[in-house]
Formats: sequence, structure tokens, C-alpha cells
Amino acid sequence: MSVRKFTSQQFDEFVSAMLKTGRPVIAPQAKDDRFAFGPLSSPADLRLDYDVTILPPKKYVLPQVEPLLEFEVFGPYQSVYEGKPMILLGVHPYDLAAILQTDELFRQGYYDKHYMDRRKQITIIALDVVRPSINVFASSMGTATISKGYDILLTVLKDGSILADAATDKGQELLRLAGASAPASEADLKARKAVWDYNAAGLNKHVLLCKPSFLPKLLEQHYNHPVWEEKARLCYSCGSCNMVCPTCYCFDVQDQVDWNLKNGQRARCWDGCLLEHFAVVAGNHNFRKERSARFRHRLYRKGKYVPAKIGGEIACVGCGRCITACTAKIANPVDVYNRLIQDTQLG
Amino acid sequence: MCECCNGQTDIYLPQMATITKRKMLTDTEVYMHLEMDCGQDLAYQPGQFVEVSLAGIGEAPISISSSPTQKGLELVVRNVGSLTRAIHKLQPGDKLGIRGPYGATYPIEEAKGRNLVFICGGIGLVPQRSFIRYALDHRGNYGKIIVLIGTKTYSMRLFCDEIALWHKRTDMKVLETIDEAHEQWHGNVGVVTTLIPKIENELAGSLVLVCGPPIMYKFVLISLADAHVSKENIYVNLERRMKCGVGKCGHCQINDKYVCQDGPVFRFSELALVPEAI
Amino acid sequence: MSKPRVAIFDFACCEGCQLQIVNLEEEILDLINLVDVVEWREAMSEQSSEYDIAVIEGSITRPEDETRLKTIRSRAKVVIALGACAAIGGVNKMKNNFDLEEVKQCVYGKDATMPHLNTAMTKAVGEVVPVDVCIPGCPIDRKEFGAVIRALLLDKKPPIPDYPVCVECKANENICRYEYNEICLGPIIRAGCGARCPTNKFRCFGCRGYVDNPNVQAAAEVMEKYGLTVEDLKQKMILFGSKQGYTL
Repeated sequence: MSVRKFTSQQFDEFVSAMLKTGRPVIAPQAKDDRFAFGPLSSPADLRLDYDVTILPPKKYVLPQVEPLLEFEVFGPYQSVYEGKPMILLGVHPYDLAAILQTDELFRQGYYDKHYMDRRKQITIIALDVVRPSINVFASSMGTATISKGYDILLTVLKDGSILADAATDKGQELLRLAGASAPASEADLKARKAVWDYNAAGLNKHVLLCKPSFLPKLLEQHYNHPVWEEKARLCYSCGSCNMVCPTCYCFDVQDQVDWNLKNGQRARCWDGCLLEHFAVVAGNHNFRKERSARFRHRLYRKGKYVPAKIGGEIACVGCGRCITACTAKIANPVDVYNRLIQDTQLG
Repeated sequence: MCECCNGQTDIYLPQMATITKRKMLTDTEVYMHLEMDCGQDLAYQPGQFVEVSLAGIGEAPISISSSPTQKGLELVVRNVGSLTRAIHKLQPGDKLGIRGPYGATYPIEEAKGRNLVFICGGIGLVPQRSFIRYALDHRGNYGKIIVLIGTKTYSMRLFCDEIALWHKRTDMKVLETIDEAHEQWHGNVGVVTTLIPKIENELAGSLVLVCGPPIMYKFVLISLADAHVSKENIYVNLERRMKCGVGKCGHCQINDKYVCQDGPVFRFSELALVPEAI
Repeated sequence: MSKPRVAIFDFACCEGCQLQIVNLEEEILDLINLVDVVEWREAMSEQSSEYDIAVIEGSITRPEDETRLKTIRSRAKVVIALGACAAIGGVNKMKNNFDLEEVKQCVYGKDATMPHLNTAMTKAVGEVVPVDVCIPGCPIDRKEFGAVIRALLLDKKPPIPDYPVCVECKANENICRYEYNEICLGPIIRAGCGARCPTNKFRCFGCRGYVDNPNVQAAAEVMEKYGLTVEDLKQKMILFGSKQGYTL
């Protein structure tokens, strides 16, 4: 199917048609002075012009609390799968890059059926960034545009029209719901290319001084660099950087029991490696007791450890959310990485 | 995972097992023998662990103490928290959930024909026992077997009856010590490292397998370095919070290693670039 | 197995935390199914000196209250400190910032010397007797109360978080109050309330007390980044943070 072009009114009709399918449509909407992904009830609430959402769309792929098992107290257990078909509309390229990484992490080794079952039921409509957020640095990370992983890619052109490019059968099927639209012209595709070219360089409020692919090597040399202690001195260990991160996927598992004390659920919930008790073992020994060690661990995971597991791709997608969320203003990965670059002996 | 459960696809779903024997080894450690309700033995190797769960209370990684050469599964659980307290209350006939086995094994193949020196501190003996028993059951495959056991106090010693039998064997050497002197104890007093000089002549070319509390590793590894044991010939068995057991949740990660996948048994030389390990 | 007997007692407080138990509504029936409430002044007239679990609301502000609390402790297997006053001393601890005589004069004027108005330095329950579980908050979160009771009945560690409010605040997708240049205590205060205040666009007042290892010094330095001062921060820490061991 060729790329389709919608006027904004035609696009609203397309959104209405999607809403009528009965599948939840999850999309960016205004929340107070910011934006958040949530269930859409009307095309009027959709904000294709959003800059960044407070939390990434990860919350629909890996929910904050996700039941894994139901049980009777003292056993036995039964698996629970709560995923339902869903349309995730308006995912920015950097957030999609993060979801694709998470897919791989839950797929590889021990196949996580809970994650994969939910994920397979999600149709993703990506959206090229219209307005850069205050702290985005996706251009530095190579995630400002994306060419895979979506079912449909939307691009808003300068004149306000919207191009929709279906990349999968699921996407094409969805696009068939649309009423009026026109095939995109050569000029439209050129205009889209201009958006991509702009974003590839323009989503860069913090400029990383090296190619992202250099980060694993960079980090190899700076495990004991003073920057870890300098930054972490102000760290609250509040986990905000973990909570808002689209690539953080660590979790805790807890059993909840109903009032009858007979039935219950085992659920996983988001956890964060910055939190003080993350690496505590039975008997209370804390294997990552220092704030600086935890602070370093996050940036090593993003720049070295996780990339080693997923074929080299850097696990920071440059969304900038941690920069905004960090009350102490120490979380900026670019600040830290650039500092290390300055102190690196080349050659 | 046992043969018949292999088709099971939910990695978080425990299989039920029944406690067939139970014995308090100390005031705080219970020994349990379990059999899988599906009737088959878990296909595990020495060094691996299982996730043990009690629905409603929680789940925790527990090292396997038995050898695959024997029937059933043996665990030793120290009473340190809610889950282990609840496990301590269980009796024969009661059930537990089991996931696994998970993790890397002791180098049972590489060790063939080599002398083995086990250095065990406290409940570090529990996983080591799996390989000790395995090696004894394949006695011809291994050279000398030397076991050093250090325990904090007299009353905290584990597997006393079994160790008494080991002492009687002529095909292995067992040295014990306790940190704090006790009137009924006539053996060595002092930390486990004080036993190392007694077997120093045996260390050359041996595989040395170390397991114990975090603080023990530092001292034992220094002693082994002093005795010129190469890092390639040392294996350590690390404890971390292996919450999921399957390399996802992140809790057991030390630098780029996942203890639940890459360990808990590590060749010490492989930890050279893993400063968080020891 | 007979049901555990629960007695609920109050000391210096507004009784708002007990009210949260009453506010469990239907769930209170679930609670009654699991435990025998043998004494609860706010909800029933019976009294008892035999109980397994003592729920203590309020802070300890008079010598005679210490005696009463010690008696309760000696009778109970488990003591729960309920709410900010019991768990950390609560707003009553503001009193400890002043000279006791001055406080009495200020509050009671010419009646300050009357024996029934005698008062001492405010103490949290845990400063008088050992406490098994603290359920902090002003008022408590009733969902958390339910989860703690169920955990105790299963002999399980009560699920009181040991991380800051920010975790729950971020999970609720709130905008950080610092972006509005407000001093929010969330980064140093124990979560478990579901970040109730910031979710309703108020700063965190700190009613649940500090996390295990709050980076209070960082809080002081971070003020500058928002054009605020350490004095501003100190002011905000007085309400629930007075004499809590972490000072600037």
C-alpha cells in the first residue's frame, strides 16, 4: 500500500473509525501542563503536536503492576494473561526504539510469555516528532527517526496534513478503516523527507560529543572516574530517572493476598536500580550500597551492559525524560558521558 | 525443569513439589528433601539453584544441596525472612512451588582428573555439598577431594552426621574449623583461611571451589593468591537477589553479569572485570 | 484456629487514622471476619485486657501515657503504631522545638500549672516501647492498613515501602512540584501513600516520615537550583519532620 495523505479533518475521521473498533486507542493527550498517554475517547483530545509524555508508552507494554499468576495461598498457581488488543497511537521514534529493545530483552533467553503475549496484541502507530521537548537528545542517539517496528508511521507535514505509511499487514488493515484520503505525491514524500532530515539533527537539546556506538568503549575506561561520586553526592536515590525511562525494565515481584487470606496474585511491578534496597539480599547485605555505585550502574546499563545483550544498540534513546524528572538535576546522561569523553586519552 | 514440564511455557509458573523429609540441622537451618509432584526428577547439575515459592508469601532463590546422582531434591533453608520463616513451618507432606533449575553449574567436566579443594564458609557448604556428593558418586573421575569447612559457632555446623562419614572415608580429606571456641569442640579454632596452610601442598594444579558469606571471599581469595593459585583454577559461588531467576528482573546483576544466568558459579578469572562481584 | 484479638487504643491525636479504619466500609466486614476486635473506643463500648495485636494511634505526651503504653505493650504480641503521631510523633513533635514551660503558657495561659494539663516532650510510640510495625501517614492510607493486617495474619513482612514518594509520584505521571518551584519533601519521604498530595497538586508535606537513608544534605544543596533557600526547606520540614534525627 502506498503512503496515504490525510487532511487533519480526514485524520480525525480515521481516528474516530479506530475508536469505533472497540479496541482501546491509547494516545498522547494533554495532562495538566504536559502530555501523557491514555485511553482516547475523542479525536479532539489527540495531541499529535505533543513534545514528550511524562511517562513513556512503556506503561502499556510493561505495566507498572502486572499480575503473572493467580494462586491459592500455599499453592497451586495458575498463569494470568491480561493483555488485550490495543492500538498505541502516536509513539515517537525514540520511544519505539525503546520498545523494540525491550521486546528483544523479554524475548531472548527465557521467553517471557507474559510480556510477549501482551506485546503481540498491540498495534503501534508511530509518529514523527512535531515539536522537540526541552530535554530531547534523540538526534545524538540516532533515535530521532525510525524505519522499523511500527505498523503505521505518521508524519505531520508543514501544511498540517498527515502522511500515513503502513508497514505491516496489521497497519494496512487498520488504514483500510480510514475514509477519505489521497495517495501521497512525490512532493509530499519530499516534505516528509525534510521532516526526517530536520529531526535527525534537530532533536538535540543536549549534544553527545561522540557517536553512541563509542559509549561501551568509553565506559570501559572510566569505572573509577570522579564524576560518579560528584554527581551522586546529590542523588536522592528516589528512582525518578528509572521510573520515567523508556528502556528501564527491571521489576520486583510481590504476592498480594485477598481479604479471605485464601486467594491472591503474584504480580511484577516496576523497580529501579537507583533505589537503595535494589541489590539487598536475605540477611540485609546490600551489594550496591553506595549512591554513586547505583548512579554509575544506571549509566553503565544504558551505555554498556544492555547494549551487550541486544547487539550493540545503546539503551538510552535520548528522550530526555530523566533530565526533566531528576529533582537534583544530576541525571543527564549526556553531561556524564561528555565529561568522560573530555577525560579520555585518545589513541 | 523436569522432562514432563518442558512444554510448559510460563517461565514464572512454579511446579508443585512435596516435602518428603525434613530435619532441623541447626536452630536456623532446615533441611528438606522434596519430590516433584509430576513424578520426575529435576534435571539439574551441581551449582544450580531453584526458585522456591510459597504462594501468598513469596519466592526466593535457594541453592540445590543434593547431587543429581541421587533421587529427589535437597534444599537447606536458613530462616532469615518471611518466606523462609514460613518454609520452616512446613512438614513432610506439605507442598512448595519450584521453578528451575537455573544458573551455571560447577565445572564438572573440566574438573575430571583434577584434584578438588572445596572451601566452605557457613551455609556456603550447602551448594558445595552438591558437587562434593556428585564427585564422590563419580569417584573415579576425580583426583583428590579435599573439603575445608569453616563455621562461625559450634551449634551452627551443618550436616554433622554426613561430615562424620566423610572423615571416615580414605578417599577424601576433610578439615573443619569453628570461629569461636566451644567446650565440646576439639578441632581447629579460627576462620576458614587458617585451614589453607594445612593443605597448601595440595593446591598446585587443583581446582579450588569457594563458597561462603561475602566477607569470606576477600580473605580466602587473598590467601589463595598468596599460595599462588591461579585465578583460572578458582571457582566462586556468589549470592545475589535472583528474583526472577531468568535474567530479566535485574536484581542479581553485577556489572554486566547476571548471577542467575552467568553464575552463581563463576570462574574467578572471569570476574577480573566485574568489580561488583567480590 | 481462633481469630487474633485486636485492640485499638488512642493517645495524643485527632483520631483521624482510626476514622480511616472505619472508612474501610465494606472491607471492614472482611477485617472483622479475620480478627476479633476486643477494644476500640471510637467504634464500640467493650473493653478488654486480653489481645494479640495492639493498634496504637497518637503520640505519647504525658508521663502517665507512657505507663499506660507499657502496660499495653506487655499484653500484646504485636504492636502497630498507626499514623504519623504514633509512628514518628507527628505534628505533636513541633512542641519539642520549644521550651516546655513556654509551650504550656502559650497553649493554656493561666491554667498551665493545673495537674491534668501536665505535659512532657512528645514521643513516638517507638520511643517508649518496641514497635513491630509502623503504618505512617497523616492520615494512614486505608489500603495500606488492610495490606499490613493481611500480611501480619500470614506472618509476612508488612509491605511498608522503603523508597521515596517520588517513585509513586512518577508512576502516577505527575509533574514534579519543583517544576513549579515548590518545595516538595517527596524525595526524602517514605512512599506508601500513593503520592496522594502531589497527585492532587500539593507538595509532599512529609507526613510519612523520612525514608531509611534520606539524602537531606542533598536536599539543602538542591534548593539553590530552584532559587530557594535552605531556610525555606527547613520551614517545610518543621510540620512533620521536627526532631526526627535528620536536621539541616
